[in-house]
Amino acid sequence: MNFRTMQAANRRKTIGLLIGMAILMWCVVYAALTYFGGSSAAIVPIAVGISLISVWGSYYGSDKLVLTMTGAKLIQESDNPKLFGLIQEVIIASGMPMPKVAIVIDSAPNAFATGRNPEHALIAFTTGILDAMDREQLQGVIAHEMAHVANRDTLVSAVAATTAGAIAIVSDMLARMMFFGGRRENNNNANPLALIVSLFILILAPLAAVMLKSAISRKRESLADATAVSFTRNPAGLRSALEVLAADSTVVQQRSTAVAHIWIESPLDSKSVSKMFSTHPPIQERIAVLRSMESLN
Amino acid sequence: MRTIIILGAVALIAVFLISQYNRLIRLNITVDEAFAQIEVQLKRRADLIPNLVETVKGYAKHEQSTFDAVVTARAKATSATGVADTAAADGMLTQALRGLLAVAEAYPDLKASTNFLSLQEELATTENKVAFSRQFYNDNVRELNTAVRTIPSSFFAGFAKVGEREFYEVEDPQDRIAPNVKF
Repeated sequence: MNFRTMQAANRRKTIGLLIGMAILMWCVVYAALTYFGGSSAAIVPIAVGISLISVWGSYYGSDKLVLTMTGAKLIQESDNPKLFGLIQEVIIASGMPMPKVAIVIDSAPNAFATGRNPEHALIAFTTGILDAMDREQLQGVIAHEMAHVANRDTLVSAVAATTAGAIAIVSDMLARMMFFGGRRENNNNANPLALIVSLFILILAPLAAVMLKSAISRKRESLADATAVSFTRNPAGLRSALEVLAADSTVVQQRSTAVAHIWIESPLDSKSVSKMFSTHPPIQERIAVLRSMESLN
Repeated sequence: MRTIIILGAVALIAVFLISQYNRLIRLNITVDEAFAQIEVQLKRRADLIPNLVETVKGYAKHEQSTFDAVVTARAKATSATGVADTAAADGMLTQALRGLLAVAEAYPDLKASTNFLSLQEELATTENKVAFSRQFYNDNVRELNTAVRTIPSSFFAGFAKVGEREFYEVEDPQDRIAPNVKF
């Protein structure tokens, strides 16, 4: 499998997962209607509205917001000519506009990309990653971050977060209704089995939404690895960079867990967290995939 | 009703024709831009060379033939026009520079000098930029040539005055040597 087929497969899977998200939303609405009757229909637009406002506000200002949340500082070319030279190499390879560049003062090696479109992109690196990696490894990391920008992953994760947020709000509201008033309308013709199933859906939907959101995030990470190789044609660079990250046990001093998914190596996922909920594929798996691409050359 | 259907069909066909035509034009412009990018990066590299040669000369006076090779190759590279010529001159200069850096290896004082180190880093990034701009150009040429030769866009190539473009191929003798297998 080369990077082109890998990119296509990852894109298809993301679309499949987003469709899964839509189906889940539909199930929740259907369950709400079955259990509570027509009056609960009003909850859905309210929940979607709240979720849209909160998520899209942060999507639009993602570059500025993330700067304050991670404590990253913007830098100019004169501050680090070597890093800018490396970024320019990847820019030329990908044909994208130059992003803003920021540094996070943190000894843990990590990096991230954000911004609502390639014109408003921001990529950031910790001082730890700049110290720990050589030219080729850093080039792989930059290509991975620019791949997130090229694949518009800020948009994809915003869509996923909106849907997951809306589902959580709907379930939460319905749970309160259940607690305080139970079923308002007596629709006697309802099938008891359907009622039980609906209740289950309402309880489990938020969990399923978070799992789908994490699955989308994992697919986007794999896609970014494949796209990075399409830029540099050098899987070895990114692979050895990931090996450095895997060998390092220090974790970025996160100020907020809300931005955990944007880093190249997850600051949250530890062995205790189930794979279903992690935002990144296991790093050894990513290394193995890149190794298989190397053997093709 | 029937006129609406006919108008709709005509509009759809028009949109299809325009998009096919525009795609070819867009691809052609991208190839032009990609070639301009190669020239920009080659110019940057050529600008670095006099400084690099002077620095190496300061430590290694007796390598005149290497310096001459670089200077000749640079002169050829800066005067080259067209894809094939530029690519050939580019390949020669890359070879000559490799020779120059190999010479530098033999002089520890030179290798330790900060001036040389910063020049070496600048040369490394510029070499990469040249390589990536070639790769970007060739990818776009491949896409354009595919569009020119495949149906349906091939029908519009003549009308849009867009034809197949030339790949940027650098003759590098090192590429023909089989790579070492490491275990």
